[in-house]
Amino acid sequence: MNCESATKLVPLYFYGELPPEEEDSLEQHLDACAACAREAERQREISVALDRRAVQPSAALLAECRHDLMRAVYRQEAPVLRRAEPGRHPSWAAALIPQWLPSLGAWRMPLGASALLALGFAAARLTVPGAGGPASLASLTPDVISSVRSVQPAHDGSQPGEVQIVLDETRRRVVNGKLNDANIQRLMLAAAHDENNPGVRWESVDLLKSHSDSSPIRELLLNRVAEDPNPGVRLKALDGLKTYAGDPEVRKVLAGVLVRDDNPGVRIAAVDALTAHADDDMVGFLQSVVQKEDNTYVRRRCAKALQDMNASVGTF
Amino acid sequence: MAQDAAGAVGARLTPRLDEAGLIRAVQRGDQDAFEQLVRAYDQSVLRLAVNLLRSQEDARDVFQEAFLRVYRSIDSFRFDCSFHTWLYRIVTNICLDYLRKRKVRKEEPAVVDTPEGPLDRMNDFEEEAAHADPERNMWNRQLGQRIEGALGGLTPRERMVFELRHYQGLRLRNIGEILGTSEEAAKNCLFRATQKMRAVLGDLQ
Repeated sequence: MNCESATKLVPLYFYGELPPEEEDSLEQHLDACAACAREAERQREISVALDRRAVQPSAALLAECRHDLMRAVYRQEAPVLRRAEPGRHPSWAAALIPQWLPSLGAWRMPLGASALLALGFAAARLTVPGAGGPASLASLTPDVISSVRSVQPAHDGSQPGEVQIVLDETRRRVVNGKLNDANIQRLMLAAAHDENNPGVRWESVDLLKSHSDSSPIRELLLNRVAEDPNPGVRLKALDGLKTYAGDPEVRKVLAGVLVRDDNPGVRIAAVDALTAHADDDMVGFLQSVVQKEDNTYVRRRCAKALQDMNASVGTF
Repeated sequence: MAQDAAGAVGARLTPRLDEAGLIRAVQRGDQDAFEQLVRAYDQSVLRLAVNLLRSQEDARDVFQEAFLRVYRSIDSFRFDCSFHTWLYRIVTNICLDYLRKRKVRKEEPAVVDTPEGPLDRMNDFEEEAAHADPERNMWNRQLGQRIEGALGGLTPRERMVFELRHYQGLRLRNIGEILGTSEEAAKNCLFRATQKMRAVLGDLQ
């Protein structure tokens, strides 16, 4: 080994990144060459100096980062859409769905309408302050929120240097009420369809699911589990439907979720809910899922359910 | 020198927590599992961001952006590589973006000149050095300034490889995997970085 190649290897030697044979050769060279040995020593000194520059983030900074992150996760940044787009379902899903499911569009229309009605209700109630509304809506706190729509130089005829700013203003109101209040429920049904805010949908579904004995709320949950673009919301809705997993309509929707949902976590929850109520009619369906499901974990859950039902996992 | 960060993190997860199980739970939408997963790695991620960017504000932003990206895209994690590698790909990409933007804007050096002398903006952090020795503090400040100058002369990629090897203790093979390049390319990058550092800090006393 010559000095030039030794110089090149010294940093890697120092970081323990040389293969054993190169390390041996270099060490032999360093034993014999004072100049390269000095170079290695310089490298070590620089490394020690660099070590002293290392900083350890404070515990307070780490705690703040954790707090901010989890707040964003829970409140604002629920998982974004990983929903299957139309046509993205595997072809086998399309083959299974017609046998098991009515069109899910049937859930969309009435719920879309109920959301509009609820919004209409909210608008009517909330734009007439002090008009003798129900007691549960008595606490209304107005607040105006502005956002800048456009900024441009002012029109001809105005003073030089003037600008025109167009603001969009939204009036915010705070509504307090009990969850079993029908009016509050209607507002929340509407909120559960707010397509721009998955966090609001998630929280609305989470609160409403404990009232799934109410027919409109159960319809909402069926709609959300099948249609919500956010897997977190779908899981919450599914959670609220568990106690009704023996109901034929609920089972049809859950079977559709198992076949069509692109999130394995949601599919697993659907399997669990369906198999919690053993039903021999499901054997063929579950066997098909085992054959065609691409997620190992979901497949295993279905296979386990079949075994628990004393059914064969495969089809013959 | 820093210990192997991946090993340290792995040790923190076992035997109580099974990482693959946690990841699958997050993929099923379990936010508590996500929090546990974050806690297994967040210290090393924050340390990387703080050391690389020398700014608490930027490090906070990187931390949040990186873990939110993990949260949003964990469905696409297929266990083709270790979670550590996957996470660090995300973190290093974000940090490289920050470094490149800074390179273009040439903004916010960690050590700034003030009428009272050079001031290291990182002095707010907990340092390993002794606190009450004025001579040592002065030496540290001067040394810090020179080291920052030397690190500032590296390209963002050289800076990243150097940070991951020297401070985070990752192996070059793992660094190559994280940065989407070969071990050989990472090795060359580290060599260039050390040569540049050597040129600037060669006369260090």
